[in-house]
Amino acid sequence: MKVQFTLNGAPAEVDVRADEMLLDVLRERFGLLSVRETCGLGVCGSCTVLVDAEPISSCIYLTPMAAGRSITTVEGLGGDHPVQRAFVEAHAFQCGYCTPGMILATKRLLEETPHPTDHEIDTALGGNLCRCGCYLKIRDAVHLAAGTVDLSSRT
Amino acid sequence: ATRREADEALPLIDVDYDELPAVFTEMDAIAPGAPLVHPKHYISENDAAYFGMRPIDGTNICHRFRIRHGDVDRAFAECDVVVEEVFTTDSAAHVPMEPHASIARWHEGRLEVWAGTQTPFNNRMDLAGIFGLKPEQVRIVCPPMGGSFGAKTFVRTEAIAAALARKAGRPVKVVLERAEEWQTMNRHPATLWMKIGAKRDGTLVAKQVACWANTGAHADSGPGVAQKMGYASPGPYRILNVWVDSHCVYTNTPPNGAYRGYGQMQCIWASERLMDVLAKRLGMDPLELRLKNILREGDTYCTGETMHDVAFEECLRRSAEAIGYHTSEDRASKGVCVLMKGMQTPSRASLAIEAEDDGTYTIRCATIEMGQGARPAIRQMAAELLGVPMERVTYPDPDTDLVPYDTRTTSSRSTHVMSRALVEAVRDLEKNGKRGVGEVTDKGGLDPDTGQGIASSHWHQGAAGAVVDVDAETGKIHVRHIHASIYAGKVVRRAAAELQNEGSIIMGLGTALFENITFDGGQVTNANLSDYNIPSLHDMPRITHDLVERAGAQVYGLGETALPPVPAAIGNALAASGIHMTALPMTAERVLASIDSGSSVDEARLRNIRDIVEASVLRA
Repeated sequence: MKVQFTLNGAPAEVDVRADEMLLDVLRERFGLLSVRETCGLGVCGSCTVLVDAEPISSCIYLTPMAAGRSITTVEGLGGDHPVQRAFVEAHAFQCGYCTPGMILATKRLLEETPHPTDHEIDTALGGNLCRCGCYLKIRDAVHLAAGTVDLSSRT
Repeated sequence: ATRREADEALPLIDVDYDELPAVFTEMDAIAPGAPLVHPKHYISENDAAYFGMRPIDGTNICHRFRIRHGDVDRAFAECDVVVEEVFTTDSAAHVPMEPHASIARWHEGRLEVWAGTQTPFNNRMDLAGIFGLKPEQVRIVCPPMGGSFGAKTFVRTEAIAAALARKAGRPVKVVLERAEEWQTMNRHPATLWMKIGAKRDGTLVAKQVACWANTGAHADSGPGVAQKMGYASPGPYRILNVWVDSHCVYTNTPPNGAYRGYGQMQCIWASERLMDVLAKRLGMDPLELRLKNILREGDTYCTGETMHDVAFEECLRRSAEAIGYHTSEDRASKGVCVLMKGMQTPSRASLAIEAEDDGTYTIRCATIEMGQGARPAIRQMAAELLGVPMERVTYPDPDTDLVPYDTRTTSSRSTHVMSRALVEAVRDLEKNGKRGVGEVTDKGGLDPDTGQGIASSHWHQGAAGAVVDVDAETGKIHVRHIHASIYAGKVVRRAAAELQNEGSIIMGLGTALFENITFDGGQVTNANLSDYNIPSLHDMPRITHDLVERAGAQVYGLGETALPPVPAAIGNALAASGIHMTALPMTAERVLASIDSGSSVDEARLRNIRDIVEASVLRA
């Protein structure tokens, strides 16, 4: 079946089986390799993309459900988005595998809660796992992107 | 055929299995008359990995390592206080976010493999052996990995990809599904019996250790893990009489291998918990007991090594101070731990620096990147030595056709050994202008029957402190504060160094509190990230740490050191509240069971282990 949606701001169309997951379609048909599989169950956040601005797990999201919606992957942020800059400045990653999902979840968090507390960050990003354990600096990055902390003042 | 068709075809294959007698735990596997996992022991002819495997015929023991230092029998008789206990650790999964993956192709008579691996040269040697090639007919290219933590060491998916590529006559990519990660390699469960004796003033006199590491159905690096578990189990203390028997044991479970900390989390858990048991018996403060016996500059370890650039005391004092060990009233919730951790020894490291015509420099180095920041660290150190901005130094993906030999990227060795190789390489480059090669060789190794020699050319040192609350009704541990102090010598890239400490502490929290692989009849029952949990932002206590530096010190590795002390620091904080834990992870159920039993010692289990040690001594 043919499915049409907006992908990173541009119209897109793809011919899929009804049970194809969005993760596989984005990687294999559109070459968007920032969308990554870890758990395959929708519990780890590596495959997070935004569908109409809401973070979803693309590994368990049927592609036809995206029809008529707007999908954003981290490629769609262009590389110089304030959240991306904050993650780089705060050194909020090691291997980087979970980072695209973290950045997209943070983008949504800050749209809803411009100045989140640590607790609000933990709640919003608690479903995005990072095995390297960069959580402290990920919190820093969110605060930095929110403009609520100046890292240069830290030792 | 498509992937989908292959998936559909799989359940159509009928397999008949004959169930044979099997053993699943290390203690069942060493019991007299236990079924043998391998009726006959085999040792690979290629020991590029330096494990020196020594199986015991007619048993499931594939390697035994021993330390014989002083006379423990005589020494125990002279002690005022002797305590002993049995400790256990469950298996754990590495859970790199990116699964194991490799691509293989046969090209112009050679095997070429692109792999997520920490061990390119070991893989080249092993693949050459498997496919009957010369090592130089195998090429391994290593792009950065999405995490590893020891999981992607030695041959994992590479041989499968290569065999399929040869059969198919075209390139083949193998990517593991998440559930397959739990079948591929995990962390060694272990049982450790330790006995320690002291004078009434707290002076340590003797220590005896017998431990068994469950290596699963295939040895892999298990003998190395068991050896490190053995030689690090006395801990960073002056003890004149030490007796250690450490065993690597086959069982009918998935293989266990390298895992951040490499056997030393297990022995530090046991050793450092036992120190608090001893302190309690002596009526001494656990911190004071440690400081009284800690290894200091110029002291001799039980392997005969003289300790240099020693920072145990400084790390321990800093950790104690950070958690307010002496300043607060509620000592009852606080615990400390100090550790020594070895680095792969012997080992060899080399790299080359090539001067390009455009004024840039290319590093040819086998150190792989898995998120630990080794490549930027090596680039930065090279840039500093060359006196150029870091942007002018590139570091292409390691390719065994192009990089000089290196043992492997493990045991927190790379930043350290490559910092030394770089000095040589820059000196060589200055001499000949175009290409400079630097090589460092760290000799060493231990006699497997006496444990004498050089265990580690370079000791990683650290300590941790924890403050915990326990819900006495549910057994749930609430960590209020965890602090680790790790000897860094000299920090190269501060943010990356901090991340290594923080990541190790967080992984240690998982090990301490909830990570364990569960089995039923040898089959893993929680091989997914819904049933097997790793720490998330919801699990973060107050975490602090410091990187201990000294003027003029070498660069020390930091990849693992902050993981092993976390469980014992938390366990000792519980002990300070009267809750005696012997098993990892310290799940709520286990904590509750310990509270309910009045934290009593399991005398029957101790007797059983004593019998096993006796029998093993007689057999030897």
